[in-house]
Amino acid sequence: MAEVEIISVSKAFGKTQALSDLSLTVGDGEFVALLGPTGAGKTTALRLIAGLEQPDRGSIRIDGRDVTGDAPADRDVAFVFQQYSLYPHLTVFENMAFSLRAPTRRVAEADIRAKVQEVARLLHIETKLDNKATQLSGGQMQRVAIGRALVRSPSIYLMDEPLSSLDAKLRGELRLELKRIQVELGATILYVTHDQTEAMTMASRIGVIEGGRLMQIGSPREIYENPINAHVAARLGQPMINLLPAALFAGVPDGAETIGARTEHLTIARDGGDVSAIVKRVEHLGDQSHLHLDLAGRPVVTLADPEAAFGAGDMVSLRLNKPLFFDAKGERVAA
Amino acid sequence: MVRPGVARRIRGLSDRALAWLFITPTIVLLLAINIFPLLWTIYLSFTNYRANRANVPMIWLGADWYQSILTDPDIWAAMQVTAHFVIWTVVIETVLGFGLAYLIDKKFRGHGMWTTIILLPMMLSPAVVGNFWTFLYQPQIGLFNYVVAFFTGRPASSFQMLGDVTLSPWAIVIVDAWMWTPYVMLICLAGLRSIPDYIYEAAEVDRASKWRQFWSITLPMALPFIMLAVLFRGIENFKMFDMVNLLTGGGPGSTTEVASITLKRAAFESWRTGYSSAFAIILFVTVFGLANIYVKALNKVKSR
Repeated sequence: MAEVEIISVSKAFGKTQALSDLSLTVGDGEFVALLGPTGAGKTTALRLIAGLEQPDRGSIRIDGRDVTGDAPADRDVAFVFQQYSLYPHLTVFENMAFSLRAPTRRVAEADIRAKVQEVARLLHIETKLDNKATQLSGGQMQRVAIGRALVRSPSIYLMDEPLSSLDAKLRGELRLELKRIQVELGATILYVTHDQTEAMTMASRIGVIEGGRLMQIGSPREIYENPINAHVAARLGQPMINLLPAALFAGVPDGAETIGARTEHLTIARDGGDVSAIVKRVEHLGDQSHLHLDLAGRPVVTLADPEAAFGAGDMVSLRLNKPLFFDAKGERVAA
Repeated sequence: MVRPGVARRIRGLSDRALAWLFITPTIVLLLAINIFPLLWTIYLSFTNYRANRANVPMIWLGADWYQSILTDPDIWAAMQVTAHFVIWTVVIETVLGFGLAYLIDKKFRGHGMWTTIILLPMMLSPAVVGNFWTFLYQPQIGLFNYVVAFFTGRPASSFQMLGDVTLSPWAIVIVDAWMWTPYVMLICLAGLRSIPDYIYEAAEVDRASKWRQFWSITLPMALPFIMLAVLFRGIENFKMFDMVNLLTGGGPGSTTEVASITLKRAAFESWRTGYSSAFAIILFVTVFGLANIYVKALNKVKSR
């Protein structure tokens, strides 16, 4: 394992600027997640580190060594692709052993066998080792793809939305497993996702990326509680943060144009709040309810106790409780 | 108020009747030009029928023709010429075709134009190809002899590709390879294009050399396509007639007399219709049997 540094890297594909001046350091043994929407440049960042693309500007260092011009094989990285990318005509065992069998590695066949079996047990695919890669379910294929990376001890594991094609239950399971494995191995991982839950639960630091720029990087808690702008604030939190015009409320700081109110910033009562709103719809999710409100023509979504007996058409009163403030450009304004 | 059944009868045909109406012409046509001639040929192969003496009464001969064909050394010589032709053309076309496909797949500048140029011979009619290669092989004025002379220093008129006992089998192999290598290339190219880029990227990260990528990814994944090309070319060349007939007509002697030329001579020069029917059936069973065994192997490779 090693530290990986990306130093002011830019990359364009034709007229599309995929990454602009991205700098990021993934510390030894750290799990960093890059969170952003489709087309934000997350995958490009991974491919640049792996050497599958060359940056237009900037440099990449692995363990202090400049690898910017090196071929993927010389970088000692492991890549988990979004589309599994297993070798379809090989068995699960052969797929996982593929990289260890590279002549430049000189790993003894007995060691390969032991290593593959160890990783297969870790991922619960030890009974599938003799199956063809194409005879597996999607979840199993993705485990094999992860396993193929785990059999190695590279400088860094690069994972490109490895769980995005799995169903919700499996995703939840693998999320826990991946985190456990990372802690056990002390692995350095750069993980790309558009799923905030994955980023929040696994990463020690989250980098929020949008339009090819790294907007903010910090611990999940920091990113959630202290977003530097409205974009970052909107990336995290379920239901999404409510962005409301500041004019609706009294006592906002100077320069604040928008109020960002998450569920925990809103206290709902029958009366006695700052403003009143009308309940449009209640979504019962079992353990909690989503409350869709109409606040002076603006939609507001918040959580409510399932016990609270609100119904469509009810008048409620809202009170703000230390919300976030943003200026006209969406930048954060101190309260 | 009309009852539904009556209404249908009034309006016209039922779905089933319509379906029959649509496929009947096709079935009739197939029966007339494929099935009937096949059955008729099988029948004739057991008789002494001669098409140039149609009014001579037919005599049932049983399996006599089959016995005499399978023990005839001339027939075995023709089968050997055919085997030589089939094996060499298929080997050369597969190796060159796959090689060209591999190069074209690298998507260099102008690869589209090169693909078109390479595909041109395939689009020509075999009759045209046969005729102009006859000119190319002319010892005095032919381009082929001139080029060989230019590179080897031997005088151009010192050898005759089509008139020499040892050269003529190769002359027809060269023409067939020239014409049909593009076809094999096209099929192999489809196979190579079907391998997704990210598999190569994974291999790249896994430290597989280009050599190892070729042997453990490219070749196994393109293999079903290569095998399909081999099957098509194998069957086609087993039946080869037109081009060889135009180039050498089976000669000199019988050095390029492939099975279908022997068959044509027996059927339309000696007019031994019963005999040639039996030979046609033997050829058909051979190709059919070999192709079936081969397709089984192909399916095995595909399902890996």
